Amino acid sequence: MSEEALRRSGTTRLRKRLRELRNDGSLFLLALPGVIALVLFAYLPMSGLILVFKNYNYNGGIFGSPWAGFDNFDFFFSSMDSAIRATRNTVMLNVLYMLSGTFFSVAIAIGLNELRSKSFIKVTQSVMFFPHFISWIVIGAILFSFLDYEKGIVNRLLEAVGMQPVDWYSHPWLFVIILVLSHIWKSAGYGAIIYYAVLQGIDTSYYEAARIDGASRWQLITKITVPMLIPSIILLTLLGIGGMLKGDLSMIMGVTFLNPLLLPTTDIIDVYVYRTAIRSGEFGFASAITLYQSLFGFVLVLVANKLAGWYDKESKLF
Amino acid sequence: MPYKENRALLVSFYVAIGLFSLICLVPFVLAVSGSLSTEAKIAADGYSLLPRGFTLDTYRFMFSSKTEQIVRGYANSVMVTVLGTACSVLVTTAYAYVITAKGFRYRNFFAFLAYFTMLFSGGTLPWYILSTKYYHLDDTLAGLFIPYLLNVFLMYLQANYFRSIPHEVVESAQMDGAGHIKIFFRIMLPLGQVGLVTISLFYALQFWNDFYLPLMLVTDEKLFTIQYMMYYMMANIQFLASGNAARIGGAIVAPPLETAKLAMTCLTVLPIAVLYPFLQRYFVRGIIVGSVKG
Amino acid sequence: MVKTKCWATLLPATLLLLAACSNGNTNEPSGSASNAASPSGTASASANDGGSSASGLAPAKLTIVLYGDESDRMKELTKSKFQDIVKQEINAELEFQFLPWSEYGGGKTDLMLSTGEDFAAYTDSNYMAKSVAKGLYADLTPYMDGAAAADMKKTVDDNSFKAFQLSGKQYAVPVGNKPNSAEFYSVLVRQDLLEEVGMSSVSSLAELEQFYEKVHAAHPELIGYAGTDARRMLMYEYTDKNLYWLNDFLAIDESAQDDKIISWFETDEFKAYAGIMREWYEKGIVPKYAATNQPQLTSDWNSGKAMFWAGTAARPFEGAAAISQAVPTAKLVNYFLNRDLPKISRGTYSTAWFVSANAADPERYVMFFNLLQKNQELYDLFAYGIEGEDYTLDANGRMTRTATDELIPDWLMMNKNFMRFDTSVPDDFIATYKAWDDDAIISKAAGFTFDNSPVKNEETKINGVFSEFLTPVSSGFVDFDKNYPKAMEKLKAAGFDKYMAEYQKQFSEWYASQSHSQ
Repeated sequence: MSEEALRRSGTTRLRKRLRELRNDGSLFLLALPGVIALVLFAYLPMSGLILVFKNYNYNGGIFGSPWAGFDNFDFFFSSMDSAIRATRNTVMLNVLYMLSGTFFSVAIAIGLNELRSKSFIKVTQSVMFFPHFISWIVIGAILFSFLDYEKGIVNRLLEAVGMQPVDWYSHPWLFVIILVLSHIWKSAGYGAIIYYAVLQGIDTSYYEAARIDGASRWQLITKITVPMLIPSIILLTLLGIGGMLKGDLSMIMGVTFLNPLLLPTTDIIDVYVYRTAIRSGEFGFASAITLYQSLFGFVLVLVANKLAGWYDKESKLF
Repeated sequence: MPYKENRALLVSFYVAIGLFSLICLVPFVLAVSGSLSTEAKIAADGYSLLPRGFTLDTYRFMFSSKTEQIVRGYANSVMVTVLGTACSVLVTTAYAYVITAKGFRYRNFFAFLAYFTMLFSGGTLPWYILSTKYYHLDDTLAGLFIPYLLNVFLMYLQANYFRSIPHEVVESAQMDGAGHIKIFFRIMLPLGQVGLVTISLFYALQFWNDFYLPLMLVTDEKLFTIQYMMYYMMANIQFLASGNAARIGGAIVAPPLETAKLAMTCLTVLPIAVLYPFLQRYFVRGIIVGSVKG
Repeated sequence: MVKTKCWATLLPATLLLLAACSNGNTNEPSGSASNAASPSGTASASANDGGSSASGLAPAKLTIVLYGDESDRMKELTKSKFQDIVKQEINAELEFQFLPWSEYGGGKTDLMLSTGEDFAAYTDSNYMAKSVAKGLYADLTPYMDGAAAADMKKTVDDNSFKAFQLSGKQYAVPVGNKPNSAEFYSVLVRQDLLEEVGMSSVSSLAELEQFYEKVHAAHPELIGYAGTDARRMLMYEYTDKNLYWLNDFLAIDESAQDDKIISWFETDEFKAYAGIMREWYEKGIVPKYAATNQPQLTSDWNSGKAMFWAGTAARPFEGAAAISQAVPTAKLVNYFLNRDLPKISRGTYSTAWFVSANAADPERYVMFFNLLQKNQELYDLFAYGIEGEDYTLDANGRMTRTATDELIPDWLMMNKNFMRFDTSVPDDFIATYKAWDDDAIISKAAGFTFDNSPVKNEETKINGVFSEFLTPVSSGFVDFDKNYPKAMEKLKAAGFDKYMAEYQKQFSEWYASQSHSQ
């Protein structure tokens, strides 16, 4: 290639960049407030991540404290069976939550979309939101009044129909079901609103056309409504996968009261860290495990994001 | 419409949704009725759908000793919710627009920049140092919503809603010479209204339900929100129940009464749960109209 | 491709931010260092010649963090009378900051300490040891022998001060002075129920179980024991030793003059104890729900639905107040099962105050703590309020509180030199209470603080084993023979032996140094 041609291609590239900048400059402006918020409240504080590798003391502060290497991870990974069980429980519960939650949220959204009565929709939509507000402590107390061995409503019903009462709080695997149901109950309404909003945005002409072609109601749902929801389902799943190793301590505390007999399935990472590191006042250990949870989630997301990209480029997170 | 309805399917939808709503309602009814019962009856017989030994004593007691705080708590919560939601919806939608802008070279960079913070955080200590010593957000009303202006999850939701707007609309506006700012305010915001309604609802909930910012940044009681008062009470219950109290000089601190706990739940939940669905449309319209004019 | 670009831009940005952040933080320690260099400054000089009068003291500002709820009356008094008195006595402006209990011993308290805020709050020896290791507490030793602490040195037991010293330095100032030996070693019995079934007292496990059987027959809705841990009250049944527990895992025998640490879970005594608890659980003396819902136990006790509880010196009248709302006729009495051993006391303090490392004037805080325990007048004010407005006194000095609002919490203040009893408390209760500590001995471990840093990992892990495997065995929720071996195996695998050896080593060293000085 001649020098002349090189220079020309250089200048055209520069010119192209400049034109791009003129067009897209305002995009930077639009992103600016968000970027500032991210930098101030997320990226600057991230400097604290190095504390995970340090033995914090007041005089040294964040940067002057002595290095501890990987010491803060030791307690977790040196008891491998606990670490593996906690990781397994967290992933298991999260997968169950995600599958059941998505299914119910989507089903409710589709249901709402089919209903005619505006006031019925409005009322049920609000009501399904109520559980979202009630703290796990209160939910736990209410659930206990259902499941208590001696006085619980469920056991009294079982006895009334001539069945043996069940000691619910001593069956770790039975309790997985209870946790999943509680989770559905608490969050399905929330999720349904996300999907319902997508459905409201669908151009009604799709439905009209299909109807004219003689599609049945059920076909409309399976051929139009569900496909319309797929990108959103993928998005929410991708967003959820990043948090695969994070769990809700307040939920387990509220619902199981940290009953030791249930720990074989309810000892998620956050609970384990609470029982050990937090109880011993070793907060450095606790933040080390948070980093492990993040890294694990990050790897999962990178993989899931790639997979999503093969399916449809637009559904990638980044 | 001359169209053959599938009656059975429709009815089953009504029944299923109605049923699920009922199940969602039950604990709430239990909480309300519990808060209207006498403490002794609750302790003896547990929860019930109808109040046991109906009494307004719990509320009377709470309001007689704390009227001022409760009213102020509500005022603060409303203020934080309105200001916080309005600001963050704008910040969020603008950002969401950027990461969905077709052909923008850096949109992936911005998407990643946001997503990364969803996974990794530096912990509370540096956040606290920065917020109090450098941004001086402690004991200010702004401190109760500024740190939460961009919720990345909701930003992605909004981006998802923006993506469903046909690209031709944007293209034709660009042909007419409209810049991104104009397109965002004049076209995307009004067209993305459904999404806006949704994320503004979630933002409102986030701000209404938040107790963390008051816990971290507020010492002045005048800035307490109703949710923080609720958290305060629940945290005390949980601490006393966990047996940690024994560590401290054998302190006997009587846990708050069951009825008070339930009454507090009702006080925090009722206003937003009952009022918000009715106010939400006006609120969202307000944001759009305000930003289009502004 | 895009990803690498992202990283490339992120990296320098983060580095830049890191640098900015580090600059900010290094300011903090320099302030505290200069403080440490001249610990008292002008304040101490003037305090020494000025005595208790505020003249000559430079104005100061004190922030005291308390946990729990702030009552309205507390707010009012903080603004008025408390403020005036503190201003007048030590020329300081006083502010109370209330935090939820969840922030005790960590949480926001730690954040405030780490950012060098100027405040004081209360602590325990465990939290103190950890915080001192991180340099978060101010060293209060220089102020202990001066005028600042003079009054409380008289009204608070000397041993209590020792309990909050680490390698000879005072890191927290004890508050309270009350009979609290044999905490939870007695059975607090519902005397009204006892008499109802024709019994007059309880002095053995057999009688206690008999009490349960009889009451259970008459009132099947009542539960027996409203707790899950009865190792102390049952001790007289299963051993001749006088055991004192240092934590969940370790105990010492107070009747032996040695420094031997006992691994509680490995003793035969533990097996005997677990056997009793298993029986209690199966008989229903401990209800089935105890394994799950422990808060329910406390609320059952408070609503008069339980027969007995673990006792302390003060519980007969402290606890009666709560129960009497549900059962007005309830009467509570402490019983020891077969007791012929001296009671053990950990010290008579309630808790202790620390001052943050970066406090501008730690001495002034000490002066304030001193005020709280200085004399009857000030004690009355801070604990009960203003006479005539908040309470009235009868001719015998007995008190009737007219306001129920709590000021500085009762349990924290309680000092036998000053505390007042409600008119509703029977005279014999007060007599018993006052004589409670008469035959008590101070634990030979009082004042020992374990430095966990060499065995942090092990300690953390055995805590996990404790909450999962050992609590169900020791409370009798599960079958002993099936579960005990596994629990011990887990405990060993978590490094218990190393933890125990370290504890023994530190304790022996400390014990040896103690006998020298005494």
